[in-house]
Formats: sequence, structure tokens, C-alpha cells
Amino acid sequence: MDNEQPTSPAEPAQLRYLKPRQVRVFRTPNGQLRATIEGERSVIAPRFLRALPLTDPDRYISLREAEPQGKEVGLLRHWQRLDRESRELVQAELDRRYLYPVLKRIVSLENLFTAAVCVFETDRGVRKVTLRDVRDNVVYLGEGRILITDAEGNRYDIRRLDGLDARSRTLLGQIL
Amino acid sequence: MGNYVGGAAPAAGALPQHGSRAAAPRRAAAGRRHRRRGDCLLVNVEVPEEIRQAAAALAPEAELRLAAASDLGADGRYGERWLVLAGERLLVLAPAGTQPRVLVDLPLKEISEVQVENLVGGAMLQAVVDGRKLDVISYSNALAKRFGRVRGQLDAVAKGKPIPEAAEQPDRCPVCGLVLGENTRACPRCMRKGAVLRRLLQYARPYRARLVLVTLLMLGAALFGVAPPYLTKILVDEVLIPRANGYLLGWLVAGLAVTNVLSTLLAVWRSRVAAWVGGRVSFDIRAALYEHLQWLSMRYYDRHPTGTMISRLSQDSGGVQNFMADGLPWIASNLISLVVVTGALLWLNWQLTLLVLIPAPVVSVMGLALWRRMRQAFFRNWRSWGRFHTVVHDTLSRTKIIKAFSQERAEIERFKLRNADLFGTSVFAEQTWATFMPLIGLITSAGSLLVWYFGGRIILGNEGLSVGGLMAFLGLLGMLYGPINVLTQTAQWVTRALTAAERIFEVLDAEALEYNLGQGLTKSVVGEIEFRNVVFGYEKHQPVLKDISFTVERGQMLGLVGKSGVGKSTIINLLCRFYDVDEGEILVDGVSLRELDLAAYRSRLGAVLQDPLLFSGTVAENIAYGKRDASPEEIMAAAKVANAHEFIVNKPDGYDEQVGERGDRLSAGEKQRICIARAILHDPAILILDEATANVDLETENAIQEAIGRLIAGRTTFAIAHRLSTLRNAHHLLVMEDGKIAEYGTHEELSAQQGVYSRLLDIHHKTSLVKAVDG
Repeated sequence: MDNEQPTSPAEPAQLRYLKPRQVRVFRTPNGQLRATIEGERSVIAPRFLRALPLTDPDRYISLREAEPQGKEVGLLRHWQRLDRESRELVQAELDRRYLYPVLKRIVSLENLFTAAVCVFETDRGVRKVTLRDVRDNVVYLGEGRILITDAEGNRYDIRRLDGLDARSRTLLGQIL
Repeated sequence: MGNYVGGAAPAAGALPQHGSRAAAPRRAAAGRRHRRRGDCLLVNVEVPEEIRQAAAALAPEAELRLAAASDLGADGRYGERWLVLAGERLLVLAPAGTQPRVLVDLPLKEISEVQVENLVGGAMLQAVVDGRKLDVISYSNALAKRFGRVRGQLDAVAKGKPIPEAAEQPDRCPVCGLVLGENTRACPRCMRKGAVLRRLLQYARPYRARLVLVTLLMLGAALFGVAPPYLTKILVDEVLIPRANGYLLGWLVAGLAVTNVLSTLLAVWRSRVAAWVGGRVSFDIRAALYEHLQWLSMRYYDRHPTGTMISRLSQDSGGVQNFMADGLPWIASNLISLVVVTGALLWLNWQLTLLVLIPAPVVSVMGLALWRRMRQAFFRNWRSWGRFHTVVHDTLSRTKIIKAFSQERAEIERFKLRNADLFGTSVFAEQTWATFMPLIGLITSAGSLLVWYFGGRIILGNEGLSVGGLMAFLGLLGMLYGPINVLTQTAQWVTRALTAAERIFEVLDAEALEYNLGQGLTKSVVGEIEFRNVVFGYEKHQPVLKDISFTVERGQMLGLVGKSGVGKSTIINLLCRFYDVDEGEILVDGVSLRELDLAAYRSRLGAVLQDPLLFSGTVAENIAYGKRDASPEEIMAAAKVANAHEFIVNKPDGYDEQVGERGDRLSAGEKQRICIARAILHDPAILILDEATANVDLETENAIQEAIGRLIAGRTTFAIAHRLSTLRNAHHLLVMEDGKIAEYGTHEELSAQQGVYSRLLDIHHKTSLVKAVDG
């Protein structure tokens, strides 16, 4: 229903890619996160967002200004090439922001037909989850990748269905 | 949810303010004991002893004012951390044996604000200290609601404001603690499969008498069914082997003929009655389902793709119909013949009978294994159908775009993929079936070999079985394994039907919006609207509207202004009560929207939307959509006011002109005016106007403008405004930014300020210039 008001100079027409050499991320003595683009500007409390969090999480990191305006300063194609301190801080920021767990194994599954109570082993530990309307809450991304959202709004990432052990696949087969 | 009860009568023309009008919240009586500068409620009550002690050690003498557990540890892994407000200190504690680790220790007085940063898959509670945001505690989406309330309370405490009430809403099954879906109250663990079957049979209850008749007919048919083998026995033993009693031959054959005819007649009668009952039951279920679908909230529709809804209505109810009309009677009649035949067999020779029953357990066990496999296979097949429908629906309803981007081939490929998936899953299901069934058949046929061998020995040994007896036995045996085979098919019937029924019940159990809460409308709506501290998000943890308060007086027009995605349409959605607010409330003539009779309220609402939605039917039917009993005079009068009468009468079929599917046979300007006529005829007290920016020629544009001008006169109007003229005409403008009210005032007031509105106006002028130049 919303109608886009044409906002003319809101965004430049071209993406800007930042070179790893240009960018330095550090903490100021009072603990504030900061990023400098060499010879250009300094960004206070920058945010680092993945442009393709599912399909290409390790590339295309968007370096952004702090909220609420929060415009993109530039994209980092290969943030791993930043200097060590910067890299660690970016990694920490990404770890802080992206909380979706990756499913490793299904420990148990109680099939209640319209719902299922599962114990998931994930990269973040073991958790008991309730799945509801399972078939409506599953996204198939192709190549065996599946995202399942539980009844409480948490999402679990199955990177490769055939990467799971046979038992987990059988259990999953009961509900998918 | 904050429930603000009573409160002062809404002040006329109240300006939007943040929080200050947060009305005195109704305090829980328990909280009254220590009311100081803000007493909090404990969010989870059971605080572990070591956490209590640790908090007490850090803040001696201080009372525990708030405590909430997070489900994530400091490292982002699952774990437990406690957010505790002890006296004047905000603490985060991680359990670690008897001595919890202190992760955060902030003096309350340093905190100026408490915020939530939405992360991906969770969120972070942050405290603003010296203008800097400090991370306090993170949590997963599961706790978004809880920490949303914690944030509200802490923020109020930090700012020294009254604390909003925070009762935790139960979203778990009270019996087993299972997390319940947002739109359903039924706990699937406490409601098991037997219950699904029973519930299904409930629908057959009104037709009990017919069901009794069906059962009696089945019993009769079964009894007539065992007569032929018995007659055969007499034929062989008394006539054929002794080569005597020739007079009996004719009678016996006649008897065979009569029993055959009778059992056939009974079977026909039975099937006809059963078909009626089955059809009728699924008719009732479809009716209940469709009716329920109409009353479900928009939130439900947001979450469930239309494709799966359609397949529930058509495929699933079809599955239930098959089961009720064919499956269930079939199973029942076979059960009855099984009992009758077994009885007859035992009567003929009980030792031999026990022998041939040996394969029965094997058959049952195999049936069970099959049951499980088939269920899974059919589930997959059903899912493929759902996705197939989605793709077909997607593409067929977007033909123009596909053609415009010449994506026909890609769409064909996409379809092929779904089609192949459907092919795969149905083949899998059918092949599984095709493999297991003959195996079961093979095992059951082993029984007749046993009869030939052991029965033959009994005859040879002259031990009480005649040749006729053996023939009858073999005949009956055929009738025994038939039902057993069928009963293994029960797996398929029951599986298909129960999964279909489950899915239907799932929808039926989804909670419909409560339409008739409270006392309803005592007087007709005059249209004074107040939004009071409204917080709302389509996803409960992501607020789209953040603490919105404003008032629109009766008959006034409010223009909603802002970039796309700031929440203008959301305000409209809430006003229509397509969704319920998460916090705060909406008052209509001083009464909470939740307490109004929804149907009566909506009947006083009218809308002219940007995308004019018409139903297939005639022009007249579309105009009269909100008032089905309108007379032709009324319809034409409304069309006239809407500047639509002229073009309608010019159509070959005038008001009886078919508008085509979704009104495709009319132009954009025509559709707009029909929608306006519809709203005029409906005569709403509250009008929602989402202006179209559709490119229509100037003359049409003027005609529409004029019609809208006539429509809004005297009605409380919410306009999502794009045209300058509308902005000027509005009594007040509400400029929104990021889910909040950025500015509020008249057009003149706001254009004088150097704010968001004047910026938007600039852009507007520029783009209109561009348009004018582009022509």
C-alpha cells in the first residue's frame, strides 16, 4: 500500500567497494568501536552487516554508519584481508549480530503431527525446540539447504541435508 | 501487554507525545508494598538461589526489583544469564557453580535510556550511558516479547517514570508445557490421533440413524455372503459325490442365485447410503473450514501461503470425503465379514481354521510397517502439491510481468522443477505401495496351500472333514483373506484421511479474531479516533510502530505522510483491526477497539485503496458490495456522486457490465471511481483513503479528485496522502519516520518548519517538475 515517494539524491547510484588497506577498525580508549577510511573519514560505532548472510556469509560485508540513519559507507569484499586487530573486531561484530544456529544433529524428535518437539544439536549447543506448522515454516534454498523456523521465531540452518547423519535425516523425514 | 484501563477522557486534539500520556497504569495490588521511584514486577519469578545471593552480595540491603533470564550465554552459545535489577544496580550474572560471574554491573543512575537492538536471530538489550550504547544482555527471538517488556520497565525506571505493567502472556500448553502456535490453542501433544479420528467421527453424529442402517445392511450382506460356500458343501457332499438326491440340485443352484442377488442388492443399498453420509460429512467440514477461514486474522494469512490453504479446502477435504464415503464403510464391512467368516470357518473345522490364521499376525506386522512408510510418503506428496500450487498460482497471476521480462522459459523451467518434484514424490508413494501390497498378498496366499495340504490329509485320514467341507472351507478362506488384505489397506485410508483431517483441524483450531467481545456498539460510531501509546510489529519482536499517540476528531481529516515503510499503512491496518496492537490501545469514541463489536465497527469503516480491488461480477454488484440490499436508485446516486455514472451508462451493458476478473476490463480511473462509489454507498463514519498515484489523464484525475472531495466531506478520514491538494486540505498532518511521529501539525505549520515535511515537499516539487518536463 505504501507508495515510494521518489527521493532523488538519497542514494548514490553506484556501490562503493572499500579496499582492505583503506579500512582500519579499532576501539577508542573508552571502548567505543570505530572505523576509519584512510584519508577520508572516521565512522563512530560502525555496524557490519552481511549482504548475503545465507549464500555468501564470508564476503560482502557492508560497513555502515550507526543507527538510526545508518547509511552504507562501503562494501568490503574480502574483509579477511584487514589487519589483524580490525579483522578480529569485525569477526566479533559479526558473531554478535548473527545469532542463527546451524543444525548439526537431531538428538530426538517427538512427532505430534501438527507439531514436533525436537532436541537439536547446533553449533551453539543443544536446545529443545518446538516446531509448529512445520511445513509452512520450512524454506528450501536448494542443494539440500533448509531453514526451519520454530514456534518461537528462532531459525535453524541445515547447511546440507545429506551432511546430516542417517538418523537425523530419518527423524527429519518424519516431519518434512 | 500493558492494559491501560479507564484513564482520563481523551483530550481533544491532543498532540502526539512520547510516553507522557502513558496514563496511570493499573498497578497490581502486590506491587503496592514497596512503591518508590518505580517498583518493577519480577519478570520470571523463580530466581535461582545463587543468583539471588550474588545480587545480594553486590548490592547489600537492596531489594531485587527485576529479574529475567536470557537463553544465550555471553559467547553466543545457548546458556543462561540473568539480568537483575538489585536496588540501584543493573547486573548481568552468569551462573557458574556457587559463585556466579558478574558480566555487567551498571549503576542505575548512569543509565539515561534502555534500548533494544535487533540482531539477526535475536536481540541485544542496550543501556545508554554518557550517550554511548552499552551491550547489556542478548537473547534469542524466543524471548523477544519478554525482554521487550523488560526494556519498557527498565527504561521507565531509568527515566523515573511510572512503570508499565508487565504480565507474561501464557503461550504454552497449561498441561504439558508445549509451546503453542500463535494462532492456535490446541495442544497437539494433549490431542492425539485417536482424538482426531473421534473428532472426525463427530461430524457423522447428526447422521447416526443412517449409520445404524448402514451397519445392519453390512451385517446382512456378510451373512448372505457365507451362504454360498455352505450351499456348495451340501451340493458336493449330498449330491455330487454320492451321485444322488438329484432333486436337490435345482433347489441348491436356485438358492445360490437368490443369495447372490440378495447380497448384491444389500451391498448396493449400503453403498448408496454410505456415500450420502460421507459426502454430507465432508460438505459440513468444508463449510466449517471455509467459514472459519473467513474469520481468521490477517496475521494468520501472512503466515500461511494461499496455496496450502487452497489445498486444504480442496485436496484435504476431498481426502476426508473419500475416507468417510468409501474408506470407513469399506473397512467396517470388511471387519464384519471377517468376524462372520471366521465364525463360519471355526464351525466347519476349528483346527484347520487356527492353522490358516497363522499368517495373520505376519500380515498385521507388515501392515504396520507399511503404515509408517506410507504416511511419510504421502506427506511428501502432499507437500509437493502445495508447492506446485504455489508456483502455478504465482505465475498465472503474474503473466504480464513474466511476459514483460520475457521469462516464459525460466518459468517453464521452474514449473518443470516443481512438476518433477511432484512426479518424484507421487511415484515414491505409489511405488512404496505397489511393492508392499503384493508382498502381503503373497504371504496371505500361503494360507490356501496349508488348507490343501492339511485339509487333504484330514480327508485322506477320514477324520471328520468331507470333500464338500474342504471346498466350502477354501471358498470361505478366499473370503477371509479378502478382508484381511483390505484391512491392511486401512493403513492407507486412515493415514490419508487422518493427515488430511489433522491439517483441516489445524486451521479450524487457529484462533479466529474475537468479533463480539464486550458490550458491542451501544451507539453508532461517530468517528473520534485516538491512538494511545500504540506499539505494533508484524513480527512481534520487530516493532513497526513505536509508541504512537495522536487523536483525530470527528469529521476531520488526518493526512499520513512519510517515506514508504515508515508505518503509514500499518496505522491503517490497525485502524481496520486487521491486526491487534501489541501495546497501548486504539480508542474509537473513547471505547477501546478491542471492546467493540468488530463486525459492527467495520461496517462503519470505508476504504478507497490505491489498488482498487474489485470482485468479478457486474459494476452494480461491485458498487453494492458493502450494502447488498441497495436499490438501483441508491447505486446510481452513489455512482453519480463518484463521477462514475456517466461512463458506466456509456458501457454496452451499463450497470450490468461485467468487470472481469479483478476488474481487469475497466481502466484504472474507472476502477477508482467505482471504489469511491462503493465507499459512498457504504456511507462510513470513518474513511480510509490511500491515494493512488496511478497515471491517469488530467481530466480523469480531476473527476477522481472531485469525487474524493465529496466522499470525505463530514467523515473522519485517514488519508495516505501523496497529492499536494490532499495535504493542504487535511486538518492535520502526521509525518512519520521510522515508526515514530516525527512531526504533527497543519500543512502551513509544517511547511514553515525546516523539518522532515518541508524536505518531503521539496522532493515532491522537484519530481512534479520532472514529471511536467517529461510530460
